[in-house]
Amino acid sequence: MAKNNTLLRFKLFHRFNHFIIIISFFGLVLTGMPLVFKDYGWALWLYKLLGGYPTAGYIHRICALVTFFAAFLHFAFLTFEATVRKTKGLFWGPDSLIIQPRDVLNILGDVLWFFRLGPRPKFDRWIYWEKFEYLSLMWGTFVMGATGFILWFPVQSTSIVPASVANIIDLPSIALVAHRYEAILAAGFIFTIHFFHTHMLPDNIPVDEAMFTGRVSEDHIMHERGAYYERLKNEDQLEECKVKPASSGAKFVAKIFGIPILIVGLLMVSFMLSALVCSIVSVITDLNIGFDIFSIFAF
Amino acid sequence: MVSLLKVSITSISNNKILHKLLLLSFLFLFISTFSSKNLFAQENSECLECHTDPAEVDVKVRVDHVTGEVEIVSMLVDEDAFHASAHGGEDFYCIDCHADLEDVDLEETEGGHYPNLQPVDCITFCHDDPAEEFLESKHVSLMKENDVQTPTCKHCHAGEKSKRDTPRADDLYHRKDTIEKCGGCHEKFLHSYRNNLHGQVTALGHLDTDIATCVDCHGQHTILHSSEPESTLGPEKVIETCGRCHPGANDSFVKHVAHPEYKNLQYYKSALIALKNIRKDPEQIKSIFKSPQIIITITFILYIGILIQTFAGFGMHSLLIWFGTVLDERKEGKESGHGKK
Repeated sequence: MAKNNTLLRFKLFHRFNHFIIIISFFGLVLTGMPLVFKDYGWALWLYKLLGGYPTAGYIHRICALVTFFAAFLHFAFLTFEATVRKTKGLFWGPDSLIIQPRDVLNILGDVLWFFRLGPRPKFDRWIYWEKFEYLSLMWGTFVMGATGFILWFPVQSTSIVPASVANIIDLPSIALVAHRYEAILAAGFIFTIHFFHTHMLPDNIPVDEAMFTGRVSEDHIMHERGAYYERLKNEDQLEECKVKPASSGAKFVAKIFGIPILIVGLLMVSFMLSALVCSIVSVITDLNIGFDIFSIFAF
Repeated sequence: MVSLLKVSITSISNNKILHKLLLLSFLFLFISTFSSKNLFAQENSECLECHTDPAEVDVKVRVDHVTGEVEIVSMLVDEDAFHASAHGGEDFYCIDCHADLEDVDLEETEGGHYPNLQPVDCITFCHDDPAEEFLESKHVSLMKENDVQTPTCKHCHAGEKSKRDTPRADDLYHRKDTIEKCGGCHEKFLHSYRNNLHGQVTALGHLDTDIATCVDCHGQHTILHSSEPESTLGPEKVIETCGRCHPGANDSFVKHVAHPEYKNLQYYKSALIALKNIRKDPEQIKSIFKSPQIIITITFILYIGILIQTFAGFGMHSLLIWFGTVLDERKEGKESGHGKK
């Protein structure tokens, strides 16, 4: 009998939460980004495709509620683990997602590795950039939620600010700026950095199936997260984590779901990038710095 | 009534001369109604007979009597577009506006009429109210002070394909057109409008009355500066104006900066100039810091900083990881290759 060497990395609950975050995030980005890049043809097309005003707005709000639901589930899970199950190491220790002193050492070690000055440090359960992604997701959801509610209920939200303060602090305008650029930050980050760091690494390309099937091979963990593997081995937890390997059907579903999502995300980021290039060129030509950028085409 | 007519006809028919006259007048009526070349231009159908036929009428070069603009105008009338326009109702006649064509003898001019009509006068007989409001508004008096050409009615109230198809106030094309017409002069405010939510949605093609265009806030004909009490955005009326779309608008809500300046290079330039003149004129920089624009601008600059930092840092990081992993794999491959040998 072949030795079973598949470990469970994500429980069903986390996979489900990641799944609804994907769905709502894409709904939010696809209905929100056209408003930011309103001057470009792709934005018009995309906005029409998603129903235009006000349908796209309704989709945006529904997806926002789904995101809040996912956030609620996550914090309910954390509370449940901390109070009922009394799981230790949730907020401090190698299993925690809070940045640990060891992560600072890992970052320094990684920088040395980038310049070929040392071997790659052995990571624990969560690599430092995964922690950063998690924490920025928490921060981003908070900012987007707060500013989004201000924009959703502008009259009600301004009524809590006295008129004398509103002379300087105009909540809806500030919320719009914050919502817009936090959105560009979040969408840009997820579609480039998150994709490159997890799904499109040479080891995982094109999709890291672990997030969809929850299962990962022992070799993979040993290679990617050496410290975690050794910790599991020393604490005799390795056998507890072992599960049946993912069926080929589940792997297929993960790919069928993951790859189109990946393509849509990359397409979206290339749209945004093209708009950025266009706007930078227009700013330079607007500046009138005495150099006409298009003069190079005048032969 | 019918019996009365019969009686009068029978009484008339007794008279032979009158009888002949009656016949003649019926004949005349018959000819004037059914002949192809009418004697007098009166009914719309008479005008449209030629003006819907491309073989009869062509384009014309016209010089605008106010702006001096030269344009090529098609003399063809799109009947559907005309009937959809504000002047397309049953009780409107071509000669109501083209008054100099009234009683023109079409026979004398061989089925045509003299080619250059007087410009249409919208104001004198029909639209004296809005015209007076507009011409006496602060907007126009400022334009006159600054020697700017005052626009005519037709400048803003023009149809999509022809100026003739005067759009209704809530016509979607008209609402889009007025944004561009206002923005043609107030370029800075058009840009800042597009930065705000109203402008974003209208830029994406939704122009219905539930999203504000320029005229929804600033008024249509009486356009006053927002500092004036009678203005739609003045302290007295602003709550009512905003409240039309945002029920329950309050004192804080109406302080909204509808024209954020953070993407206007001129704003940063004026801030720099104010900073230079800080000793000479400290009020200048104070007014910039007191305006609600400042916090929006700071938020914007902060976010641009965060964006650049994040993408530069993490972009570099993911590239380095890619190279590192690939190089490591190659090294491992070589080592294992050596081992096999």
